[in-house]
Amino acid sequence: MKRYSGWTLASPGTLLVVVFLIFPVLATIATTFMTPNGIFAPYISFFGSGFRRTVLWRTIQISFITTVIALAIGFLTAYVVSRAPGWLKSILIIAAVFPLLTGVVVRSFAWMIILGKNGILNSTLVSLGLIGEPMTMLYTQGAVIVAMVYLFVPLMILTLVGVLESIPDDLIQASASLGAKPSATFRQVIFPLAVPGLIVGAVLVFTGSFTAYATPQLLGGESQMVMGTLMYQQAMVIFDWVSASTIAAIMVVITIVVVLLMTRIARRLNPMAV
Amino acid sequence: MTSKIHPALIVFTVFVFIFLVGPLVIVIGSALSNTTYLTFPPQGLSLRWFENIFAISAFRRTIITSLQIAFISTFIALLIGIPAAYALNRYRIQLPGWLSTLFVLPVLVPELVLGFALLKNFAAEFSAPIFLSLIIGHTLLVLPYVVRVISASLASFDFSIEEAAISLGSPPLKTFFTILLPNVRSGVIAAFILCFITSINDVSISIFMTGPGISTLPIQILAHMEQFFDPTVASVSVLLMALTVGVMAIVERTLGLTFLAK
Amino acid sequence: MTQNLSIQSITAHYGSTKVLEDLSLEIAEGELVSLLGASGCGKTTTLRLVAGFLEPTSGKIELGGKDLTRLPAHQRNIGLVFQNYALFPHLSVAENVGFGLKQRGVSGDVKAKRVGAMLERVGLGHLADRLPGALSGGQKQRVALARALVIEPPLLMFDEPLSNLDAKLRVDMRVEIRQLQRANGTTSVYVTHDQEEAFSISDRVAIMHAGRIMQLDTPEVLYQRPANAFVARFVGFENLIPMDVVARDGAKITAEMAGGARITLSLEQFGTIPDSFILACRADGLAVTDNASVEGIPTKLGLRTYLGRAYQYQCETAAGHLLANGPLTRPLDIGANAKLVPVPEQCTILAPEPVA
Repeated sequence: MKRYSGWTLASPGTLLVVVFLIFPVLATIATTFMTPNGIFAPYISFFGSGFRRTVLWRTIQISFITTVIALAIGFLTAYVVSRAPGWLKSILIIAAVFPLLTGVVVRSFAWMIILGKNGILNSTLVSLGLIGEPMTMLYTQGAVIVAMVYLFVPLMILTLVGVLESIPDDLIQASASLGAKPSATFRQVIFPLAVPGLIVGAVLVFTGSFTAYATPQLLGGESQMVMGTLMYQQAMVIFDWVSASTIAAIMVVITIVVVLLMTRIARRLNPMAV
Repeated sequence: MTSKIHPALIVFTVFVFIFLVGPLVIVIGSALSNTTYLTFPPQGLSLRWFENIFAISAFRRTIITSLQIAFISTFIALLIGIPAAYALNRYRIQLPGWLSTLFVLPVLVPELVLGFALLKNFAAEFSAPIFLSLIIGHTLLVLPYVVRVISASLASFDFSIEEAAISLGSPPLKTFFTILLPNVRSGVIAAFILCFITSINDVSISIFMTGPGISTLPIQILAHMEQFFDPTVASVSVLLMALTVGVMAIVERTLGLTFLAK
Repeated sequence: MTQNLSIQSITAHYGSTKVLEDLSLEIAEGELVSLLGASGCGKTTTLRLVAGFLEPTSGKIELGGKDLTRLPAHQRNIGLVFQNYALFPHLSVAENVGFGLKQRGVSGDVKAKRVGAMLERVGLGHLADRLPGALSGGQKQRVALARALVIEPPLLMFDEPLSNLDAKLRVDMRVEIRQLQRANGTTSVYVTHDQEEAFSISDRVAIMHAGRIMQLDTPEVLYQRPANAFVARFVGFENLIPMDVVARDGAKITAEMAGGARITLSLEQFGTIPDSFILACRADGLAVTDNASVEGIPTKLGLRTYLGRAYQYQCETAAGHLLANGPLTRPLDIGANAKLVPVPEQCTILAPEPVA
């Protein structure tokens, strides 16, 4: 009705986001350009440090591998789930939702029990005689990746089931009527139509892994430091807030670039968009 | 259903679901162990580690704090998120496009960064109380869920229903409560649950906002694990999972589980 | 109870776009007036202004002599019937119909009785406890109608109420709406883009275009004597022939069209004729003849189609493409030379269109 009522209703939320999110984040980033040592000094020192470059590279690596694995597992599983009969589909969706609603600490902790020196995996392998003595699995890059994949596969499955179910059945039937085998339909019809959804899922997983804290902290520890754990260490252990702010700024920039870039690509690739 | 699925794909899917559910079963098993170290399968069954949770005052305190924060921040987020979602849908043409982007910003900005920024520029800068900082951080964390879920409900809401009520003599504010809210009820319940669970489980924001005498449950779990790797953590995890199951049961009852797949 | 509606020089904007310009409309007590036009002509905007969902930039709206312009929508007491019914999905049929009464503090037996009586009137007494989701389109429309009528509003407004129904039901429902409106004698505004619907149901019809009323009159007058070229085209005048008077001779004039063809018109038939005018008619206003000696518009005949009561010809003339009818007794062939003779009773004289 009246123009101001829209603003009135949106203003408390707008105010909250501006005052407690936009302002603090921008102020945090701004401080990195206002050090006495010159405008880009914190960034020069970040990229000048071999250790920090390694951390950044490791984070990108872990996030990338996690994304690829989660995409592959998620897509294939989502395909099966989306074609499952009603009752089974409900059960499978519950089985995917439950881990998703379980906290990140609990889910990471589960992998600590599994991968520990005296953990289930080691004791099983030893008792089967496959290995002589327990291997070090915890605090390796592999451990972080496994736990991250575990973290993000449910999200991927649920996202992609939605995407796959939105593909009209007629298209699949049309493909079959034109003589395409199920595998050909999968490759030539279903997959291309799911690509925008896959990209959205990939963005969620990549940005999520890139900025994760609890999982790399619990399963990677000091030896597998990533951007998130490094930032926490700088902020809360060493109390070097300029350094922590620099890491924060790098994380924000990379996140936003990835999101914008990928959503733009997804939009361009969406064949069902008008 | 029309096309057959390759058997190998079915086997693969079975393994994926074992991979998804297995670790949580292991946590439950470990919680029931009567040994002082974590093992699976449990050597002997006992509930002693559940008793231990409540014996440790830090756990007792943080459970209460976490519940308080989850309730309060969810409540605030609903209070300001529902009108915002309504405005964004109802006055889409009048309001600028960036406003809806603004409400998804908390998702776009890494939680860890938000937590640190709030610590640096609010909590530390103004020596704000930790509890207040936690509430603000968690409200921001869950606000996008409210806006997104309520917007999804409103997308299928026919606003002429609202006009019909007004034309029949119902004042606008009353119309909001008697006509609009009952019709987005399922959205409100879903938003509440998502917010509550997200808040209860949060680490990345809370980790910067804990201080002397105040902490949240996940942060307390992390702290406990640094010193003891005993089944207490498994028991707490089981408690959290029980909470999740309870919440899922509520969803099932009120909305049907397919709602979660959206 | 029923009151007259007076819309006085309303101008309205959406943002910076002007959607209504200086629109005035007087509707008498008990009258049903349709607002007819294509989408974007301003008809729905007019309805929403009267309902109070929009505010005019300037102008005044009065109902029964009372100024409504700044009154909040919920205090206007106008019965509205929406295009998509707008039934409250969480309330039963009876609760939907009773909603307006509840707002007016009517409760208990009085409310139940009035709701029950109204549902009987629209033939839905047996569905009182259903939820709207379980109703058919026609039933939903009846509930919407009952809900608007039960508050006994001094003004009823319909926003394309039948556009979601199938063709057969649409005809039945419009008769029903008209009967209920007549019986109550409620002043009504009816918005539609369907010409047949508007003409069949209304006392008067306002044909709207680009935020203005192009003509407001009874359906009969609109159909036979459109006041301007826009309305003429809108009501289906296929032939609009610009002409200039070249000679005036007492009760007759001679006019010439592009290409030089001349015709003679009687002032007795048309009243005054300006020096420059448009001769407008439907296909049956031009008679086709192969008699070369009569006065008429020379043409070469194009495609012939059979209409049942006549043959219709596509005609190429020096003044452009025209449509004309010829007798069933003498079908003429494609390519034949013929003359088109205006039938004065079927023609009307319009002012020339302003040069855009």
